[in-house]
Amino acid sequence: MPSRVRGARGRTVAACVAAALVIAPLAWWWQVSRLPGSYAMTSVGHPDTGGAAARHAHPGGVDVTTLVADPHRRADVSVTLTARHQRLRVGSRTMDGFTLNGTSPGPVIRAVRGQLVEVRLVNESVRGGVTLHWHGVDVPNAADGVAGVTQDAVRIGEAYTYRFVADQAGTFWYHSHQASSEQVKRGLLGALVVSPRPVVRTGEQNTAADVVALVHQYGPARTVNGQPGDLRVPLAPGATARVRVINTENGPMSAWVAGAAYRVVAVDGTDLTGPTAVRDTAVLVTAGGRADLEVRAPADGTAVRVHLGGPHGVVLGGAGETLTGKDQAPVASTAPAGKPRATLDLLTYGTPTPLAFDPDRPDRRFRYDIGRRPGFLDGRPGMWWTINGHLYPDVPMFVVAEGDVVRMTVSNHSGEVHPMHLHGHHAVVLSRNGVPATGSRWWIDSLDVANGETYEIAFVADNPGIWMDHCHNLPHAAQGLVTHLMYEGVTSPFAVGGHRDNEPE
Amino acid sequence: MRIVYKVLAYAVAVEVALQASFMVLGIAGLGKWIDAGGTFDKASMESDDSMFPEAVGFMLHGVNGSIVIPALALILLIVSFFARIPRGVRWAVAVFVLVAVQANLGFAGHELPIMGALHGLNALLLFTVAFLAARRAGAPAKTGAADDSARVSTPA
Repeated sequence: MPSRVRGARGRTVAACVAAALVIAPLAWWWQVSRLPGSYAMTSVGHPDTGGAAARHAHPGGVDVTTLVADPHRRADVSVTLTARHQRLRVGSRTMDGFTLNGTSPGPVIRAVRGQLVEVRLVNESVRGGVTLHWHGVDVPNAADGVAGVTQDAVRIGEAYTYRFVADQAGTFWYHSHQASSEQVKRGLLGALVVSPRPVVRTGEQNTAADVVALVHQYGPARTVNGQPGDLRVPLAPGATARVRVINTENGPMSAWVAGAAYRVVAVDGTDLTGPTAVRDTAVLVTAGGRADLEVRAPADGTAVRVHLGGPHGVVLGGAGETLTGKDQAPVASTAPAGKPRATLDLLTYGTPTPLAFDPDRPDRRFRYDIGRRPGFLDGRPGMWWTINGHLYPDVPMFVVAEGDVVRMTVSNHSGEVHPMHLHGHHAVVLSRNGVPATGSRWWIDSLDVANGETYEIAFVADNPGIWMDHCHNLPHAAQGLVTHLMYEGVTSPFAVGGHRDNEPE
Repeated sequence: MRIVYKVLAYAVAVEVALQASFMVLGIAGLGKWIDAGGTFDKASMESDDSMFPEAVGFMLHGVNGSIVIPALALILLIVSFFARIPRGVRWAVAVFVLVAVQANLGFAGHELPIMGALHGLNALLLFTVAFLAARRAGAPAKTGAADDSARVSTPA
């Protein structure tokens, strides 16, 4: 009996050892993955100087709160946006959501290039706090609106003022960057349009139209400017419209024009050079990205539809058919048309122009490799995104100095597409999968990097600060696909987490 | 421990069956949605607000497959060390390895859809192995020597 008991004990010990061998590494990985309750974004990641020698920052450095637009200049455009938690009406349904000045999307903010825009954000009733990020606008860092990096989340009863010069004409949008994966979905967003010159209202002629088409999904309903179905815009036969497509969703969306030619005149707030007319071709607007389509209303007075991801979109013209409102059924010319097989390749679209800097002689070279592997992220097990093979927060921090020419290779081997968004800068696409760009200069702030693709991009580090560089599939950012561009010597008094509950993603 | 092993192994088998069911529910719902004129693209796929109710099947498949089943397989493996079932550890290891393969095939299918086809076949293999493991725990021990735990806990 004693030998049997000893044998049984031995087996129990062996079982315990085996169990420990399985559990211990898991427990270790779980433990080391946990993030502190509060941390500075500048402490996240390993400094990657991109091949340049690290210079020593001045003690104290430059505080992000000092990186502002000229404080003595008067605002040309002044807006107050009040954030509320309330019921939203989307078509015939109502849902729980967030509004800005009582609507979602919030009001379209319009400015003329060169004007100083001042937006006062007031949080009336959004628990957890809010911010506003000016997506695609290269604002001074203090106006970038990233909770925990450039400001504290604006809590109920508080306000924050954003000031920036709208020095680039184009289509932009704004959205909360506090718990963004949740708050953007639920309505804290809107459009910003910067015109090259003051817009002259032509009265009822409708000879040219400037149409904002902000696409957002509320609950199960995909909407254009907050309403399901088509956005109908009166337009005289033969007149042109500039349709500013803004994809606020988490995945890329195709846009196409049924039965008519169109031109893509701008991408991500930057005009293209020499865009030619295309037909039976879709253009992919990545998540967070914008594309301005120039469409001419048919001379015969029929309508033309710009499809936005599906059967609906913007219906232009067709005054005789639509303005009377007698018959809501679409006529033949505006019957929904399926997505064309061809997709426009911006790598070869338009005509090239010289760059103001030499991307072949960069001061810094960075690699942004996106992958995916199982592991723990802040203690949660799952299949998480990796940057250069590592999970957040073990990611590179891209360190630059003002004036540097920066070249970055973005590649994706994660199995899914990622719309990569760099704050505060526009980068130019140099090549995709080794094929050089030969079309119009293709400047992006949101780049669709499909699985298996590698893009070479370049930009000039001309906007000091701490800038997020993340996936704009916002839940992906919350799942760790986020890092930042860090100017030497810039510091932030703000922290992620902590008593202010700053939660940028 | 034997009963825990048995329940866990059956649970893996049942979960695998549910996984197949959830996926087909989602695909059938998608077909119906498209048939009624709906569109489905990456933007709608990435939204957590389902455009059609059966999309819950995709969500359940994801949570079950990436969290619940791996957790069950891991606990089964740990329990197997203590359960003293003849070859019980080997069967639990087989379940665990097949679950790992299954998860990898599932994610690989995003890039290479043929891996999704193998994911479907491997599911049947995993179901069978989990089922047999559970049956093994239920079978009475053939010889006393193979089951010391019974002897020690109930001395004759």
